[in-house]
Amino acid sequence: MRAIILLLGLLFSTVLLAQERDFIGGRGETGVTVTASHTFTGTDPQSTINGNGLDADLMAASRFLFQAGLGGSMEDIQNLALSGDYEAWIDEQAALPMTDVLSNVIAINEEEFQFFLTQTDAEGNPNRPENYFGPWAKHFSYAWWDNAAKAPDQLRYKVANALSQIFVVSHNNTDLSNHGEAMGAYYDLLLRRSFGNFRDLLGDVTFSPSMGFYLSHLNNPKTDTTRNQQPDENYAREIMQLFTIGLIELNMDGSPKLDASGEFIPTYDNEDIRGLAKVFTGLGGGDVSDKIKMEYPNARIEFGVELYGINKTIPMRMYDSQHEPGEKSIVGDYVIPAGQTGLADIRDALDHLFDHPNVPPFISRQLIQRMVKSNPSPDYIERVAHVFADNGQGERGDLLAVVKAILLDHEARSCEFILDPAQGQLREPLLRHTHIIHALPNDSPSGNYWKDPQSLFERTKQAPQTSPTVFNFYNPDFAPAGEISDQGLVAPEFRILDSETSIGYANQVFEWTFFELLLFDWENRTPHVQVVFDDLEELARTDQEGLIHRVDVLFLHGQMSDVTRGVIRRALEAAGPTGRYRERAQFVVYMAMISPDYTIIK
Amino acid sequence: MAMNRRKFIKYAGCGAMTSTTMMSSLLNLRAMSSAAMSTGVGSSDYKALVCLSLQGGNDSYNMLVPTTPEEFSAYRDVRSNVAHERGALQDLSGASNGRTFALHPNLPNLRRLYDEQQLAFIANVGTLVEPLTVDDFFARSKRMPLGLLSHSDQLQQWQTAIPHERSAQGWGARMTELINDMNPGLNTNELIPMNFSLDGINTFHSGQNSIPYTLNPFEGAIGIQGFEDSPLLESAVRDMLSQSYADVYKNTYLSTLNKSIEINEAYSEAIENVNLGVTFPSTVIGASFEQVAKAIAVHETLGFRRQTFFISQGGYDTHDNITIRHDSNMAELDLAIASFQRAMEQLGCDEQVMSFVISDFARTLRSNGNGTDHAWGGNVFAVGGPVRGGQIYGQYPETLDFRDNTVDLGGGVLVPTTSADLYFAEIAQWFGVSQSDLGDIFPNLINFYDFRNTDNNNPLGFLTLS
Repeated sequence: MRAIILLLGLLFSTVLLAQERDFIGGRGETGVTVTASHTFTGTDPQSTINGNGLDADLMAASRFLFQAGLGGSMEDIQNLALSGDYEAWIDEQAALPMTDVLSNVIAINEEEFQFFLTQTDAEGNPNRPENYFGPWAKHFSYAWWDNAAKAPDQLRYKVANALSQIFVVSHNNTDLSNHGEAMGAYYDLLLRRSFGNFRDLLGDVTFSPSMGFYLSHLNNPKTDTTRNQQPDENYAREIMQLFTIGLIELNMDGSPKLDASGEFIPTYDNEDIRGLAKVFTGLGGGDVSDKIKMEYPNARIEFGVELYGINKTIPMRMYDSQHEPGEKSIVGDYVIPAGQTGLADIRDALDHLFDHPNVPPFISRQLIQRMVKSNPSPDYIERVAHVFADNGQGERGDLLAVVKAILLDHEARSCEFILDPAQGQLREPLLRHTHIIHALPNDSPSGNYWKDPQSLFERTKQAPQTSPTVFNFYNPDFAPAGEISDQGLVAPEFRILDSETSIGYANQVFEWTFFELLLFDWENRTPHVQVVFDDLEELARTDQEGLIHRVDVLFLHGQMSDVTRGVIRRALEAAGPTGRYRERAQFVVYMAMISPDYTIIK
Repeated sequence: MAMNRRKFIKYAGCGAMTSTTMMSSLLNLRAMSSAAMSTGVGSSDYKALVCLSLQGGNDSYNMLVPTTPEEFSAYRDVRSNVAHERGALQDLSGASNGRTFALHPNLPNLRRLYDEQQLAFIANVGTLVEPLTVDDFFARSKRMPLGLLSHSDQLQQWQTAIPHERSAQGWGARMTELINDMNPGLNTNELIPMNFSLDGINTFHSGQNSIPYTLNPFEGAIGIQGFEDSPLLESAVRDMLSQSYADVYKNTYLSTLNKSIEINEAYSEAIENVNLGVTFPSTVIGASFEQVAKAIAVHETLGFRRQTFFISQGGYDTHDNITIRHDSNMAELDLAIASFQRAMEQLGCDEQVMSFVISDFARTLRSNGNGTDHAWGGNVFAVGGPVRGGQIYGQYPETLDFRDNTVDLGGGVLVPTTSADLYFAEIAQWFGVSQSDLGDIFPNLINFYDFRNTDNNNPLGFLTLS
């Protein structure tokens, strides 16, 4: 593996050299400014000058850390570039203990509660404990950003982010916004299974009270003819359409299967939904909530207790008396026999869905889209799907093996795809934010990295767990009208790029750079987290080209084009030869981050 | 009488609100060129269409309820714990074929607009490929929409009018592209699209060559920070925007940003001094309607004689807690539409503006315990001056009792008795599509309505076509 990566590093450097006349570190190209190289701490200037391609390794490592994580610092990039062993990095990441969100939600909520008690109400009386409200979506958001900034298990967070956009649960416009612990527990479930088995993930998602509420199979009773009640079909439909098999039959390479007359073949029909809806009856809360227990020590859980009253951090439980009896016919004419317990019915149904031949290509393609590119080749999908179907040891659904297959694939690593003008992906706005948190030094006087649940969404239409619907922020097949759809390509993230969000994002970058304002809490209670521009300011003073180059490596993975570089140089020239070095540094980051060379990752 | 009073209030022609003296020279030039090109087509030939999407599937058999005693009793029985109390309903005046109806308790303004003949309902409408009965459905003897009862498919199909395919081409875009092609010079603004969205890029507005101009419901057009304070920053950004990149993704990103900046600057300037004189509710739907009203107020300045708008109100997927959530949705909707209609009267545009509702589907008549599930045919409404209001068009089911209901597929999933295409085609005709061109926009329309026969000229009759 090491040898391949080194080889790729060389390729990377050579090809970019051919494209970029002034590519720094590129094998002694005439006219290249090499003064920049000494400014990289830990980099031997000589290796740049003699063209051994360490810069190319840095750029490749920077790109990998964005694909496989939430973005890397200069130090992260250097460490990975020096080792050059991406597979070892993945294994190290997978071995790290999970940094859970729920315990942070609870700790943050407790801190906020204690603070609340020190304050007075509108009449000047001390706040009363019963008037405190939390944890709610704010506390989930605080905890999520805090972990995204601090957690060492960055690959896990990246995979969970991808999974969270397939198994969508959202607090946007739903009652889940009142239950921060429910959101935390749900995210933890995704984190926990990120390197686990897909079948286990499917089970955890199905029994999650957050999902049960979101897709309404929590307290979903069996048919009651006297009340004209029939099983809720919501979860039955979406688990097939979105979580496992999709709407049409697929080949292993993700292409649709066609019937004799050349038409797509639907995977299921309405009868299958009705059959499966019967399976997901009888699930109710696992226990009453701690709050209810404190107030009513004798309160006992039963079927029908609503979201607010149940413990939202433990799985739902089966109430067999509310479970639909009789046999259930589901997709593929599979019949679940009568007389089983509810849990056995669900187990059989999930096993059956998990074994459907659509699952490997359907899920693999979407994971590739979230981590590497919008338009993976059929071969790439097929290679990953085969690993999904069998990890080499006979296990189906091994997500760590799938993640490795995605990130270490030739198509993810080789630069021939970087140079293809039809390849690319609009970076998710959420990941642009985590990227700058990691890429540049910052200062948090409180040690917190809290962010409110709304402001990023308002600017970019994306924030953790805020999808407007179960269909995620964007559809995997979305293509904006124009060049992209004309070429038969898809570009899901462009669904949320419009006249509002394109400018909203630029204004967000403005806040990060010129205001140095990285994160702040809802009430402005704790000191802001500031971006620290000291190093870049010093570079601006001593080595302008080095500054541009550093920003290129950190954010653009060495893909800054002549065009963008020219724009930045002209503006710096126009600003005069000297002075205002901090603003120059901020300006270079601002321009780089709003440039198409950044927003489109290749 | 109420209608006369409404007309009496109208003191000035539509568009009188705007004053070009306020505008920059650039916009003055645009306005002048607009006026110069308008010869032959009177400036009164202005029409604006608002598509209002109730997202998640409006439980529309709780929006429009039959009140003839027998029918109401069937309604109570079938809807069990999600049924409204009889006394709380807003009774509609008059009777349709001897039947009486009432609205959801939180729709007093819609009731008033109905009584003033500005609002009409179309009953049991839905996506269809060809006419279909319950027997056809089970025999699978007719072609049917793809992905029935699925949110993403059904909401998409209400916006594409292509239910037999998974298309992303909206009929709003097809309609406006056709109208622009057939009427050169109709809209003279080359910068700002005639289609505005208050809900991002949407399918209705997505066409071969068009995407909508999106505005934030609360903030409207937001410009780039820093341009006002730093000419250096502005010129650097503009330098980048003028560049070309060797990559479709990069160019698409850059052209989106570039266009957004240009459009926002022109638009913000245009609406700077608009005062509607009407207070809108501070809900998303209220704020969205307010933005639409402002855009309509400056249509002359901007050089538009046709405009369409897309608004959405979320939260209709009421599998749970239906009574609370549907009640608050209805109340917000009612107040927002009331404000919007008042604003249109103030502007004198009420005869030229109409809003129409779409929704994924209606919901099952039967309760699932504390909510209702996805169904199919449902009730929608259109409101505004062009509407021949005070009536219910289409066929409201003879009874909601599932035992006698001839359109029930089971559980209260009703087969639509009126195709959404008929509803759309009449709107498109009002907007300016000639009858003979309707088939280009609605590929299945011919299965329901022979638009080639010139004796037919009003698919449903709920609009005044002139």
